[in-house]
Amino acid sequence: MENYILDVECLTKSFSRFKVLNNISFKIKSGDFFGLIGPNGAGKSTLLKILYGIVIPDSGSIKIKGLNLLSDYKKIKYSLGVVPQDDNLDDDLGVYENLLIYSMYFGISRTESLKRSNELLNFFDMNEKKYSKVSDLSGGLKRRLMIARALINNPSLIVLDEPTSGLDPEYRQNIWGKLKALNKNGVTILMSTHYMEEAEHLFKNMIILHHGNIVLQGNINDITLNKKSLEDIFLDIAKN
Amino acid sequence: MKFLKKIIQTNSNLSLGSFTVFYRNYLVWLRYYKPGIIGDILEPLLYLAALGLGIGKFIHNINGISYVKYIVPGIIASSSMYASAFESTFGAYTRMVTNGIYEAILLTPIGIEDIVSGEILWGTAKAFMSGIAVFVIGAAFRWIISPLALIIPIVIVLNGILFSSLSLLITSFSPSYDFFSYYFTIAISTMFLFSGVFYPVSSLPHLVRYFVYVMPLYYTVSIMRMLDEGKINTLLLSSYLLIIILFALTFFYASIYFIKKRVIK
Repeated sequence: MENYILDVECLTKSFSRFKVLNNISFKIKSGDFFGLIGPNGAGKSTLLKILYGIVIPDSGSIKIKGLNLLSDYKKIKYSLGVVPQDDNLDDDLGVYENLLIYSMYFGISRTESLKRSNELLNFFDMNEKKYSKVSDLSGGLKRRLMIARALINNPSLIVLDEPTSGLDPEYRQNIWGKLKALNKNGVTILMSTHYMEEAEHLFKNMIILHHGNIVLQGNINDITLNKKSLEDIFLDIAKN
Repeated sequence: MKFLKKIIQTNSNLSLGSFTVFYRNYLVWLRYYKPGIIGDILEPLLYLAALGLGIGKFIHNINGISYVKYIVPGIIASSSMYASAFESTFGAYTRMVTNGIYEAILLTPIGIEDIVSGEILWGTAKAFMSGIAVFVIGAAFRWIISPLALIIPIVIVLNGILFSSLSLLITSFSPSYDFFSYYFTIAISTMFLFSGVFYPVSSLPHLVRYFVYVMPLYYTVSIMRMLDEGKINTLLLSSYLLIIILFALTFFYASIYFIKKRVIK
Protein backbone atom coordinates (compact mmCIF):
# COMPACT_ATOMS: atom_id res chain seq x y z
CA MET A 1 0.00 0.00 0.00
CA GLU A 2 1.27 3.48 -0.89
CA ASN A 3 2.05 5.80 1.98
CA TYR A 4 -0.24 8.82 1.53
CA ILE A 5 0.12 11.72 3.93
CA LEU A 6 -2.90 13.55 2.52
CA ASP A 7 -5.99 12.01 1.01
CA VAL A 8 -8.71 14.35 -0.27
CA GLU A 9 -11.91 12.86 -1.62
CA CYS A 10 -14.91 14.46 -3.32
CA LEU A 11 -14.39 17.85 -1.71
CA THR A 12 -17.06 20.44 -2.45
CA LYS A 13 -17.48 23.99 -1.21
CA SER A 14 -19.82 26.82 -2.16
CA PHE A 15 -20.00 30.38 -0.90
CA SER A 16 -23.61 31.61 -1.17
CA ARG A 17 -24.59 29.91 -4.43
CA PHE A 18 -21.18 30.15 -6.03
CA LYS A 19 -19.43 26.81 -6.28
CA VAL A 20 -15.76 27.35 -5.43
CA LEU A 21 -14.67 23.69 -5.34
CA ASN A 22 -16.37 20.97 -7.29
CA ASN A 23 -15.79 17.38 -6.30
CA ILE A 24 -12.02 17.60 -5.80
CA SER A 25 -10.04 14.40 -5.17
CA PHE A 26 -6.28 13.94 -4.96
CA LYS A 27 -3.62 12.24 -2.86
CA ILE A 28 -0.15 13.27 -1.77
CA LYS A 29 2.58 10.78 -0.97
CA SER A 30 4.88 11.23 1.99
CA GLY A 31 7.99 13.17 0.99
CA ASP A 32 6.40 14.75 -2.08
CA PHE A 33 6.78 18.38 -3.14
CA PHE A 34 3.24 18.84 -4.38
CA GLY A 35 2.08 21.88 -6.27
CA LEU A 36 -1.23 23.57 -6.73
CA ILE A 37 -1.58 26.01 -9.59
CA GLY A 38 -4.47 27.69 -11.34
CA PRO A 39 -5.68 31.09 -12.50
CA ASN A 40 -6.92 33.66 -9.96
CA GLY A 41 -10.25 32.58 -8.50
CA ALA A 42 -9.66 28.91 -9.36
CA GLY A 43 -10.23 27.87 -5.73
CA LYS A 44 -6.60 27.34 -4.66
CA SER A 45 -6.78 29.36 -1.45
CA THR A 46 -10.17 27.93 -0.48
CA LEU A 47 -8.80 24.40 -0.93
CA LEU A 48 -5.77 25.18 1.26
CA LYS A 49 -7.92 26.96 3.86
CA ILE A 50 -10.08 23.85 4.11
CA LEU A 51 -6.94 21.78 4.66
CA TYR A 52 -5.83 23.96 7.54
CA GLY A 53 -9.24 24.27 9.12
CA ILE A 54 -10.28 27.90 8.53
CA VAL A 55 -12.96 26.94 5.99
CA ILE A 56 -15.37 24.06 6.53
CA PRO A 57 -16.21 22.05 3.38
CA ASP A 58 -19.83 21.34 2.37
CA SER A 59 -19.03 17.70 1.66
CA GLY A 60 -16.15 15.33 1.07
CA SER A 61 -13.48 13.78 3.24
CA ILE A 62 -9.94 14.80 4.10
CA LYS A 63 -7.48 12.49 5.78
CA ILE A 64 -4.10 13.67 6.97
CA LYS A 65 -1.81 10.86 8.12
CA GLY A 66 -4.89 8.64 8.18
CA LEU A 67 -6.77 10.91 10.59
CA ASN A 68 -10.02 12.60 9.67
CA LEU A 69 -9.47 16.36 9.52
CA LEU A 70 -12.92 17.37 10.73
CA SER A 71 -13.05 15.11 13.78
CA ASP A 72 -9.34 14.89 14.72
CA TYR A 73 -8.23 18.42 13.85
CA LYS A 74 -6.39 18.95 17.16
CA LYS A 75 -4.27 15.83 16.71
CA ILE A 76 -3.62 16.65 13.07
CA LYS A 77 -2.41 20.15 13.83
CA TYR A 78 0.50 18.80 15.85
CA SER A 79 2.00 17.46 12.63
CA LEU A 80 0.88 20.22 10.28
CA GLY A 81 2.68 23.49 9.49
CA VAL A 82 0.83 26.29 7.72
CA VAL A 83 1.97 29.43 5.90
CA PRO A 84 -1.16 31.35 4.92
CA GLN A 85 -1.15 33.87 2.09
CA ASP A 86 -1.69 36.93 4.29
CA ASP A 87 0.87 37.89 6.87
CA ASN A 88 -0.59 37.19 10.30
CA LEU A 89 2.56 37.42 12.39
CA ASP A 90 2.03 38.86 15.85
CA ASP A 91 3.02 42.51 15.32
CA ASP A 92 2.83 43.24 19.04
CA LEU A 93 5.68 40.80 19.69
CA GLY A 94 9.25 40.63 18.43
CA VAL A 95 10.75 38.08 16.00
CA TYR A 96 12.02 35.66 18.65
CA GLU A 97 8.88 36.09 20.76
CA ASN A 98 6.72 35.20 17.78
CA LEU A 99 8.42 31.82 17.60
CA LEU A 100 8.37 31.28 21.35
CA ILE A 101 4.68 32.10 21.74
CA TYR A 102 3.81 29.98 18.75
CA SER A 103 5.61 27.01 20.24
CA MET A 104 3.60 27.56 23.41
CA TYR A 105 0.39 27.17 21.39
CA PHE A 106 1.70 23.71 20.52
CA GLY A 107 2.47 22.94 24.13
CA ILE A 108 6.21 22.63 23.43
CA SER A 109 8.36 22.80 26.58
CA ARG A 110 10.37 25.94 27.27
CA THR A 111 13.83 24.43 26.73
CA GLU A 112 12.71 22.69 23.57
CA SER A 113 11.09 25.87 22.21
CA LEU A 114 14.20 27.99 22.88
CA LYS A 115 16.34 25.41 21.11
CA ARG A 116 13.97 25.05 18.19
CA SER A 117 13.46 28.83 17.74
CA ASN A 118 17.22 29.40 17.63
CA GLU A 119 17.69 26.59 15.13
CA LEU A 120 14.99 28.02 12.90
CA LEU A 121 16.37 31.57 13.05
CA ASN A 122 19.70 30.10 12.11
CA PHE A 123 18.28 28.07 9.24
CA PHE A 124 16.52 31.14 7.82
CA ASP A 125 19.57 33.40 8.31
CA MET A 126 17.64 35.65 10.67
CA ASN A 127 19.90 35.57 13.71
CA GLU A 128 20.69 39.25 13.67
CA LYS A 129 16.95 40.04 13.51
CA LYS A 130 16.21 37.95 16.60
CA TYR A 131 15.25 40.92 18.77
CA SER A 132 13.77 43.10 16.00
CA LYS A 133 10.16 44.17 15.88
CA VAL A 134 8.10 42.31 13.30
CA SER A 135 6.96 45.64 11.85
CA ASP A 136 10.60 46.53 11.08
CA LEU A 137 11.11 43.45 8.86
CA SER A 138 11.05 43.63 5.06
CA GLY A 139 8.42 41.65 3.14
CA GLY A 140 10.91 38.90 2.36
CA LEU A 141 12.03 38.54 5.97
CA LYS A 142 8.43 38.47 7.18
CA ARG A 143 7.75 35.64 4.78
CA ARG A 144 10.78 33.73 6.05
CA LEU A 145 9.60 34.23 9.62
CA MET A 146 6.16 32.92 8.62
CA ILE A 147 7.78 29.77 7.27
CA ALA A 148 10.01 29.45 10.34
CA ARG A 149 6.92 29.78 12.53
CA ALA A 150 5.16 27.05 10.56
CA LEU A 151 8.08 24.71 11.30
CA ILE A 152 8.17 25.25 15.05
CA ASN A 153 6.27 22.02 15.75
CA ASN A 154 8.49 19.89 13.46
CA PRO A 155 5.61 19.16 11.08
CA SER A 156 5.66 16.28 8.64
CA LEU A 157 3.44 18.21 6.20
CA ILE A 158 3.60 21.92 5.50
CA VAL A 159 1.00 23.81 3.51
CA LEU A 160 2.06 27.10 1.90
CA ASP A 161 -0.28 29.46 0.08
CA GLU A 162 1.72 31.48 -2.48
CA PRO A 163 4.66 31.98 -0.11
CA THR A 164 6.78 33.92 -2.58
CA SER A 165 4.14 36.19 -4.07
CA GLY A 166 5.24 39.82 -4.16
CA LEU A 167 8.88 39.03 -3.37
CA ASP A 168 11.85 40.05 -5.49
CA PRO A 169 13.76 37.28 -7.34
CA GLU A 170 16.56 37.15 -4.78
CA TYR A 171 14.24 36.52 -1.83
CA ARG A 172 12.21 34.10 -3.93
CA GLN A 173 15.25 32.02 -4.77
CA ASN A 174 16.35 32.09 -1.16
CA ILE A 175 12.97 30.68 -0.10
CA TRP A 176 13.13 28.05 -2.86
CA GLY A 177 16.46 26.90 -1.47
CA LYS A 178 15.05 26.60 2.05
CA LEU A 179 11.96 24.71 0.90
CA LYS A 180 14.04 22.30 -1.19
CA ALA A 181 16.30 21.64 1.79
CA LEU A 182 13.28 20.93 3.99
CA ASN A 183 11.81 18.58 1.41
CA LYS A 184 15.14 16.79 1.14
CA ASN A 185 14.97 16.26 4.89
CA GLY A 186 11.69 14.41 4.49
CA VAL A 187 9.10 17.16 5.03
CA THR A 188 6.17 16.80 2.65
CA ILE A 189 5.26 20.12 1.05
CA LEU A 190 1.99 21.25 -0.47
CA MET A 191 2.28 24.68 -2.01
CA SER A 192 0.31 26.93 -4.32
CA THR A 193 1.83 29.44 -6.69
CA HIS A 194 1.05 31.45 -9.77
CA TYR A 195 4.69 31.64 -10.89
CA MET A 196 5.21 28.97 -13.53
CA GLU A 197 8.96 28.98 -13.29
CA GLU A 198 8.61 28.36 -9.58
CA ALA A 199 6.34 25.40 -10.25
CA GLU A 200 8.79 23.94 -12.76
CA HIS A 201 11.67 24.47 -10.40
CA LEU A 202 10.13 22.98 -7.27
CA PHE A 203 7.20 20.66 -7.81
CA LYS A 204 7.43 16.91 -8.30
CA ASN A 205 3.68 16.34 -8.65
CA MET A 206 0.91 18.83 -9.07
CA ILE A 207 -2.71 19.61 -9.85
CA ILE A 208 -4.05 22.46 -11.94
CA LEU A 209 -7.33 23.90 -10.74
CA HIS A 210 -9.71 25.90 -12.90
CA HIS A 211 -13.18 27.12 -11.88
CA GLY A 212 -13.08 24.77 -8.89
CA ASN A 213 -12.27 21.65 -10.91
CA ILE A 214 -9.04 19.69 -11.27
CA VAL A 215 -8.24 20.00 -14.97
CA LEU A 216 -4.82 18.36 -14.94
CA GLN A 217 -3.08 16.15 -12.43
CA GLY A 218 0.13 14.18 -12.31
CA ASN A 219 3.91 14.23 -12.34
CA ILE A 220 5.27 17.55 -13.59
CA ASN A 221 7.55 15.84 -16.14
CA ASP A 222 4.60 13.95 -17.62
CA ILE A 223 2.49 17.11 -17.74
CA THR A 224 5.11 19.11 -19.60
CA LEU A 225 6.19 16.21 -21.83
CA ASN A 226 4.35 17.14 -25.03
CA LYS A 227 4.12 20.89 -24.60
CA LYS A 228 6.68 23.64 -24.64
CA SER A 229 6.32 24.83 -21.10
CA LEU A 230 4.04 24.85 -18.09
CA GLU A 231 3.25 28.45 -18.91
CA ASP A 232 1.74 27.44 -22.28
CA ILE A 233 -0.35 24.75 -20.63
CA PHE A 234 -1.51 27.21 -18.01
CA LEU A 235 -2.46 29.83 -20.61
CA ASP A 236 -4.40 27.25 -22.65
CA ILE A 237 -6.37 26.30 -19.57
CA ALA A 238 -6.99 29.88 -18.49
CA LYS A 239 -8.35 30.76 -21.94
CA ASN A 240 -11.03 28.06 -21.76
CA MET B 1 -31.12 18.92 25.15
CA LYS B 2 -29.23 19.68 21.95
CA PHE B 3 -28.02 22.96 23.46
CA LEU B 4 -26.91 21.16 26.62
CA LYS B 5 -24.98 18.64 24.51
CA LYS B 6 -23.31 21.50 22.70
CA ILE B 7 -22.31 23.12 26.00
CA ILE B 8 -20.86 19.86 27.32
CA GLN B 9 -18.93 19.40 24.09
CA THR B 10 -17.63 22.98 24.29
CA ASN B 11 -16.52 22.44 27.88
CA SER B 12 -14.59 19.33 26.95
CA ASN B 13 -12.83 21.33 24.26
CA LEU B 14 -11.63 23.95 26.74
CA SER B 15 -8.08 23.23 27.71
CA LEU B 16 -4.82 24.76 28.82
CA GLY B 17 -4.89 26.53 25.47
CA SER B 18 -7.04 29.29 26.96
CA PHE B 19 -4.25 30.11 29.42
CA THR B 20 -1.81 30.36 26.54
CA VAL B 21 -4.07 32.88 24.82
CA PHE B 22 -4.37 34.74 28.13
CA TYR B 23 -0.59 34.68 28.52
CA ARG B 24 -0.02 36.07 25.03
CA ASN B 25 -2.27 39.04 25.84
CA TYR B 26 -0.54 39.51 29.18
CA LEU B 27 2.90 39.61 27.50
CA VAL B 28 1.73 42.28 25.07
CA TRP B 29 0.13 44.23 27.93
CA LEU B 30 3.42 44.20 29.84
CA ARG B 31 4.93 46.04 26.91
CA TYR B 32 2.32 48.80 26.74
CA TYR B 33 0.75 48.86 30.18
CA LYS B 34 1.63 52.40 31.23
CA PRO B 35 -0.88 54.37 29.11
CA GLY B 36 -3.51 51.68 29.77
CA ILE B 37 -3.26 52.11 33.51
CA ILE B 38 -4.45 55.72 33.24
CA GLY B 39 -7.77 54.60 31.79
CA ASP B 40 -8.25 51.49 33.87
CA ILE B 41 -7.15 52.70 37.27
CA LEU B 42 -6.77 56.48 37.40
CA GLU B 43 -10.07 57.35 35.74
CA PRO B 44 -12.33 55.58 38.26
CA LEU B 45 -10.34 57.20 41.06
CA LEU B 46 -11.01 60.60 39.49
CA TYR B 47 -14.75 59.86 39.48
CA LEU B 48 -14.57 58.79 43.08
CA ALA B 49 -12.71 61.94 44.12
CA ALA B 50 -14.67 64.44 42.01
CA LEU B 51 -18.17 63.10 42.62
CA GLY B 52 -17.65 61.62 46.07
CA LEU B 53 -15.95 64.63 47.55
CA GLY B 54 -17.39 67.35 45.27
CA ILE B 55 -21.08 66.43 45.04
CA GLY B 56 -20.75 64.73 48.41
CA LYS B 57 -20.47 68.20 49.97
CA PHE B 58 -24.09 68.86 49.00
CA ILE B 59 -25.54 65.38 49.58
CA HIS B 60 -25.00 64.70 53.23
CA ASN B 61 -25.99 61.07 53.17
CA ILE B 62 -27.94 58.38 51.36
CA ASN B 63 -29.66 55.89 53.69
CA GLY B 64 -27.45 57.18 56.50
CA ILE B 65 -24.20 56.69 54.56
CA SER B 66 -21.96 59.54 53.40
CA TYR B 67 -22.07 60.08 49.63
CA VAL B 68 -18.46 59.11 48.93
CA LYS B 69 -18.95 55.86 50.85
CA TYR B 70 -22.22 55.29 49.04
CA ILE B 71 -20.68 55.41 45.57
CA VAL B 72 -17.58 53.25 46.29
CA PRO B 73 -19.22 49.86 45.46
CA GLY B 74 -20.83 51.36 42.36
CA ILE B 75 -17.51 52.75 41.11
CA ILE B 76 -15.83 49.37 41.75
CA ALA B 77 -18.50 47.66 39.63
CA SER B 78 -18.60 50.28 36.85
CA SER B 79 -14.82 50.65 36.53
CA SER B 80 -14.39 46.89 36.19
CA MET B 81 -17.21 46.90 33.64
CA TYR B 82 -15.46 49.60 31.58
CA ALA B 83 -12.05 47.90 31.76
CA SER B 84 -13.34 44.57 30.49
CA ALA B 85 -15.63 46.21 27.91
CA PHE B 86 -12.75 48.18 26.37
CA GLU B 87 -10.46 45.14 26.32
CA SER B 88 -13.01 42.77 24.84
CA THR B 89 -14.19 45.20 22.15
CA PHE B 90 -11.34 47.37 20.82
CA GLY B 91 -8.60 45.00 21.99
CA ALA B 92 -10.28 41.80 20.84
CA TYR B 93 -11.36 43.32 17.50
CA THR B 94 -7.77 44.35 16.79
CA ARG B 95 -6.58 40.82 17.49
CA MET B 96 -9.39 39.14 15.58
CA VAL B 97 -9.77 41.37 12.51
CA THR B 98 -6.95 43.90 12.15
CA ASN B 99 -3.99 41.70 13.11
CA GLY B 100 -5.37 38.25 12.21
CA ILE B 101 -4.13 36.79 15.51
CA TYR B 102 -7.11 34.45 15.92
CA GLU B 103 -6.51 32.96 12.50
CA ALA B 104 -2.81 32.49 13.27
CA ILE B 105 -3.66 30.75 16.56
CA LEU B 106 -6.22 28.53 14.85
CA LEU B 107 -3.45 27.05 12.72
CA THR B 108 -2.20 25.43 15.93
CA PRO B 109 -4.01 22.83 18.09
CA ILE B 110 -5.73 25.69 19.95
CA GLY B 111 -9.42 25.90 19.07
CA ILE B 112 -11.90 28.73 18.99
CA GLU B 113 -13.25 27.76 22.45
CA ASP B 114 -9.76 28.27 23.91
CA ILE B 115 -9.39 31.62 22.15
CA VAL B 116 -12.74 32.91 23.42
CA SER B 117 -12.21 31.68 26.97
CA GLY B 118 -8.63 33.01 26.97
CA GLU B 119 -9.92 36.39 25.82
CA ILE B 120 -12.60 36.40 28.53
CA LEU B 121 -10.03 35.41 31.13
CA TRP B 122 -7.87 38.32 30.01
CA GLY B 123 -10.80 40.79 29.98
CA THR B 124 -11.60 39.60 33.50
CA ALA B 125 -8.02 40.22 34.61
CA LYS B 126 -8.27 43.79 33.30
CA ALA B 127 -11.58 44.20 35.15
CA PHE B 128 -9.97 42.88 38.30
CA MET B 129 -7.04 45.29 38.12
CA SER B 130 -9.36 48.23 37.71
CA GLY B 131 -11.92 47.17 40.31
CA ILE B 132 -9.38 46.17 42.92
CA ALA B 133 -7.58 49.54 42.61
CA VAL B 134 -10.81 51.35 43.59
CA PHE B 135 -11.40 48.80 46.34
CA VAL B 136 -7.93 49.31 47.82
CA ILE B 137 -8.18 53.11 47.68
CA GLY B 138 -11.66 52.88 49.25
CA ALA B 139 -10.28 50.72 52.03
CA ALA B 140 -7.26 53.00 52.54
CA PHE B 141 -9.51 56.04 53.05
CA ARG B 142 -11.87 54.00 55.25
CA TRP B 143 -14.72 54.44 52.80
CA ILE B 144 -15.43 50.71 52.92
CA ILE B 145 -17.99 49.99 55.61
CA SER B 146 -18.34 46.29 56.51
CA PRO B 147 -15.77 43.46 56.73
CA LEU B 148 -18.10 41.51 54.45
CA ALA B 149 -16.71 43.77 51.72
CA LEU B 150 -13.72 41.41 51.63
CA ILE B 151 -15.92 39.18 49.44
CA ILE B 152 -16.22 41.98 46.84
CA PRO B 153 -13.12 40.88 44.82
CA ILE B 154 -14.96 37.65 43.97
CA VAL B 155 -17.86 39.70 42.65
CA ILE B 156 -15.39 41.80 40.61
CA VAL B 157 -14.27 38.57 38.91
CA LEU B 158 -17.89 37.63 38.16
CA ASN B 159 -18.51 41.12 36.82
CA GLY B 160 -15.41 40.81 34.63
CA ILE B 161 -16.52 37.47 33.17
CA LEU B 162 -19.99 38.92 32.57
CA PHE B 163 -18.89 42.05 30.72
CA SER B 164 -16.00 40.41 28.85
CA SER B 165 -18.42 37.83 27.50
CA LEU B 166 -21.04 40.43 26.56
CA SER B 167 -18.42 42.65 24.91
CA LEU B 168 -16.89 39.77 22.98
CA LEU B 169 -20.36 38.89 21.75
CA ILE B 170 -20.75 42.47 20.48
CA THR B 171 -17.29 42.22 18.86
CA SER B 172 -18.34 39.08 17.00
CA PHE B 173 -20.97 41.16 15.14
CA SER B 174 -18.97 44.33 14.74
CA PRO B 175 -18.12 45.35 11.16
CA SER B 176 -15.72 48.13 12.30
CA TYR B 177 -14.35 50.00 15.30
CA ASP B 178 -17.07 52.68 14.84
CA PHE B 179 -19.72 50.11 15.63
CA PHE B 180 -18.55 50.08 19.26
CA SER B 181 -19.88 53.64 19.69
CA TYR B 182 -23.40 52.17 19.68
CA TYR B 183 -22.47 49.65 22.34
CA PHE B 184 -20.70 52.13 24.59
CA THR B 185 -23.41 54.79 24.27
CA ILE B 186 -26.52 52.64 24.32
CA ALA B 187 -25.45 49.87 26.68
CA ILE B 188 -22.37 50.74 28.72
CA SER B 189 -22.99 54.45 29.44
CA THR B 190 -26.67 53.81 30.11
CA MET B 191 -25.79 51.14 32.64
CA PHE B 192 -23.17 53.40 34.21
CA LEU B 193 -25.74 56.16 34.73
CA PHE B 194 -28.86 54.14 35.60
CA SER B 195 -27.76 50.99 37.47
CA GLY B 196 -27.59 52.54 40.90
CA VAL B 197 -23.93 53.56 40.88
CA PHE B 198 -24.66 57.15 41.96
CA TYR B 199 -28.12 56.98 43.54
CA PRO B 200 -30.65 54.35 44.66
CA VAL B 201 -32.61 52.97 41.71
CA SER B 202 -35.75 53.31 43.87
CA SER B 203 -35.60 57.06 43.26
CA LEU B 204 -36.25 56.54 39.52
CA PRO B 205 -39.78 56.62 38.07
CA HIS B 206 -41.50 53.23 37.98
CA LEU B 207 -41.31 52.83 34.21
CA VAL B 208 -37.58 53.56 34.07
CA ARG B 209 -36.95 51.04 36.83
CA TYR B 210 -38.19 48.19 34.63
CA PHE B 211 -35.44 49.04 32.16
CA VAL B 212 -32.89 49.00 34.96
CA TYR B 213 -33.87 45.44 35.85
CA VAL B 214 -32.63 44.15 32.49
CA MET B 215 -29.22 45.79 32.99
CA PRO B 216 -26.61 43.27 34.21
CA LEU B 217 -24.63 46.00 35.99
CA TYR B 218 -27.58 46.68 38.31
CA TYR B 219 -27.17 43.23 39.86
CA THR B 220 -23.43 43.45 40.43
CA VAL B 221 -23.72 46.97 41.89
CA SER B 222 -26.50 45.74 44.20
CA ILE B 223 -24.50 42.74 45.43
CA MET B 224 -21.37 44.81 45.99
CA ARG B 225 -23.40 47.40 47.91
CA MET B 226 -25.03 44.73 50.09
CA LEU B 227 -21.59 43.32 50.94
CA ASP B 228 -20.06 46.74 51.49
CA GLU B 229 -22.81 47.88 53.82
CA GLY B 230 -23.05 44.47 55.49
CA LYS B 231 -26.82 44.37 54.95
CA ILE B 232 -27.30 40.94 53.46
CA ASN B 233 -30.69 39.83 52.24
CA THR B 234 -29.95 36.14 51.53
CA LEU B 235 -32.83 35.63 49.10
CA LEU B 236 -31.99 38.78 47.14
CA LEU B 237 -28.26 38.02 47.17
CA SER B 238 -28.67 34.48 45.88
CA SER B 239 -31.21 35.42 43.23
CA TYR B 240 -29.01 38.29 42.00
CA LEU B 241 -26.01 35.95 41.90
CA LEU B 242 -28.03 33.47 39.89
CA ILE B 243 -29.06 36.21 37.46
CA ILE B 244 -25.41 37.28 36.98
CA ILE B 245 -24.30 33.70 36.38
CA LEU B 246 -27.12 33.12 33.88
CA PHE B 247 -26.25 36.35 32.04
CA ALA B 248 -22.55 35.40 31.99
CA LEU B 249 -23.14 31.83 30.76
CA THR B 250 -25.49 33.01 28.02
CA PHE B 251 -23.06 35.64 26.76
CA PHE B 252 -20.11 33.24 27.04
CA TYR B 253 -21.63 30.47 24.92
CA ALA B 254 -23.19 32.94 22.49
CA SER B 255 -19.80 34.60 21.95
CA ILE B 256 -18.15 31.22 21.26
CA TYR B 257 -20.88 30.43 18.75
CA PHE B 258 -20.75 33.75 16.91
CA ILE B 259 -16.96 34.20 16.93
CA LYS B 260 -16.67 30.69 15.47
CA LYS B 261 -19.19 31.66 12.80
CA ARG B 262 -17.21 34.77 11.99
CA VAL B 263 -13.70 33.33 11.89
CA ILE B 264 -14.35 29.87 10.38
CA LYS B 265 -16.29 30.01 7.13
